Amino acid sequence: MNTTPILTASNLVKYFYEPEKFQVLKDISFEVRRGEFLALVGKSGSGKSTLLYVLSTMDTEYEGNLAINGNALTGQSQNALAAFRNQHIGFVFQFHYLLPEFTVLENVMIPALKMRRLSRQEIETKAYGHLSTLGLQDQALKLASKLSGGQQQRVAIARALINDPSIIMGDEPTGNLDSKNSQLVFDIFRDIVSAGHQTIIAVTHDEDFAANCDRVLELSDGHLLK
Amino acid sequence: MKLPINYQIAATYLTSKVKQTIVAVLGVTFGISMYVFMNSFMSGVNEAQNRLAFSTLAHVRIYNDRPADRSDIVSHVFPTGTIANIRNGKVIKYTDGIKNSREIIRYLKTQPLVSVVTPEVNISVFFKNAGNKVNGTLSGVDVSGEDRLFNSAAFMMQGSWKELAYRPDGIFVGIELAKSLSLKINDNLNILTADGVSHTYKVIGIFQTNLSSVDKAKAYLSIAATRQLLAENQDYVTDIQINVVDFKKANQLVNILAPVIPYKVESWSMANQQLQAGSNLRDVIAVAVSLTILIVAGFGIYNIMNMTINEKIREIAILKAMGFAGKDIRKIFLTMGVVIGLIGGFVGMGLGFIVSDLVNHVPFNVAGLATLPMSYDPEDYILAFSFGLITTFVAGYFPSRKASKIDPVNIIRG
Repeated sequence: MNTTPILTASNLVKYFYEPEKFQVLKDISFEVRRGEFLALVGKSGSGKSTLLYVLSTMDTEYEGNLAINGNALTGQSQNALAAFRNQHIGFVFQFHYLLPEFTVLENVMIPALKMRRLSRQEIETKAYGHLSTLGLQDQALKLASKLSGGQQQRVAIARALINDPSIIMGDEPTGNLDSKNSQLVFDIFRDIVSAGHQTIIAVTHDEDFAANCDRVLELSDGHLLK
Repeated sequence: MKLPINYQIAATYLTSKVKQTIVAVLGVTFGISMYVFMNSFMSGVNEAQNRLAFSTLAHVRIYNDRPADRSDIVSHVFPTGTIANIRNGKVIKYTDGIKNSREIIRYLKTQPLVSVVTPEVNISVFFKNAGNKVNGTLSGVDVSGEDRLFNSAAFMMQGSWKELAYRPDGIFVGIELAKSLSLKINDNLNILTADGVSHTYKVIGIFQTNLSSVDKAKAYLSIAATRQLLAENQDYVTDIQINVVDFKKANQLVNILAPVIPYKVESWSMANQQLQAGSNLRDVIAVAVSLTILIVAGFGIYNIMNMTINEKIREIAILKAMGFAGKDIRKIFLTMGVVIGLIGGFVGMGLGFIVSDLVNHVPFNVAGLATLPMSYDPEDYILAFSFGLITTFVAGYFPSRKASKIDPVNIIRG
């Protein structure tokens, strides 16, 4: 397996200024290997979600350096970062955050339609492929708001996969699901990683979930515990 | 659905909340239709007013303006303090009319702004029929020129305008004048001039201009017959009436003519400032009312867009997380605003036309009008449409800019 790191974080420091100045991340440095299934854990307030949003490029107010896939991302413009996310990062959030007025299929297709690398026909075929892998092919033409929570989370995963991102980031991806659906989502993640090219970084407080990951990074008071 | 994704999202947002979209579209529709209607109506009124006014009023008039007060000529000539003993003083006859009128008319016809020039001989007379006497104005006119300038033939109730040219014994009288003197076609009418000359003419036509001051006290004679009545030469003219290519350019022509013509040159707006004032005030009211409506509609759109953005704030955050840049988000919401403006604009122009047409059919029997006046000027429609688009663009721009600046981290983390 390729051993060059997919993600390199060096000396990340971040402060919150509201309600008063507070250091959330204290000099965090680590690397993530390509194809790794990584869990970020820690108590509430430990800074694990904050770290994930810094890694996701959405939060740009930090010190230190971040590189994904060899691209130095620190200091780039919001628009450049948006284009980078579109291509390289897939997201799965605790609350699925689908667009309720669009069909399941459209929800999955939107990031690829934004990237415009493939024709609409190819994107649709690909979206159907992901949906049927996740057992949702029958739901494709329903409105996203009509699905159950577990189904919506699987749609969110299909959406995260549509542009073949190098990294999939999850913020409590099973946090809102029952144990059966949690297991299902975990298995899907496991399958994605074992396919080889994609890396998963997930924030979780689900111990079972963390225990089954390749590696666990634990944060405490903004420090990375080994 | 082959649209780029930003437009597709805008279209979905517009169609998923149809009621809200319709409310926003109706706001623009009413604004634009009122703009179209108000402006069409006001310009219709102005046109009717002008038509009425210019049926007896030329755009520019040249006449011999005698000094207003000639009672104290001595003080103009001799130093103050001079004692003069003049009893029952008389001013010797001042030159009446316009000298060398033929040359002046020839010069006027070379002016590019001038469309029609016609000479007139106007005098005050008594109209007499047996015991009845009415004083009024007798106009000696160049028959074809007068018609080209005032469209006089259209006002004839009885008789034909052209006949005046061939009948030195014929006269046209206003309808009210005919009534007060109990005159019918082919009756005789006696004219008494200020110099005491009396002459009888045959009534060969009756006209109605709908301006009662004219209908009550005016008669037309051919200009040759009038000169004959006054024993004047063949160039004798008291007034030269001029129409300008565009009546709004009358003052421009006055500025050209006044320095070279040694007589009073007066435009319609100088002679009738209330006409100009009325027309300007109506324009101001029309624009004020319709712009107010458009601004209110603009605030309506602004509110609806703001509401939509607050409702969709999480979706906007997720779109940004997935790689939509600020400018994509702005495009989505600006597209919504512009689509609302375009639909509202087209429907508004149609509704404006329908309302105008309906009002144009409301009976209004005053001053020669049959229905309420209305003008159908494409310029009004184009202006209304552009104002509508600008309003919706501005009303959509600020909320969309706000949407583009949403920080996804704050929203997604709650």
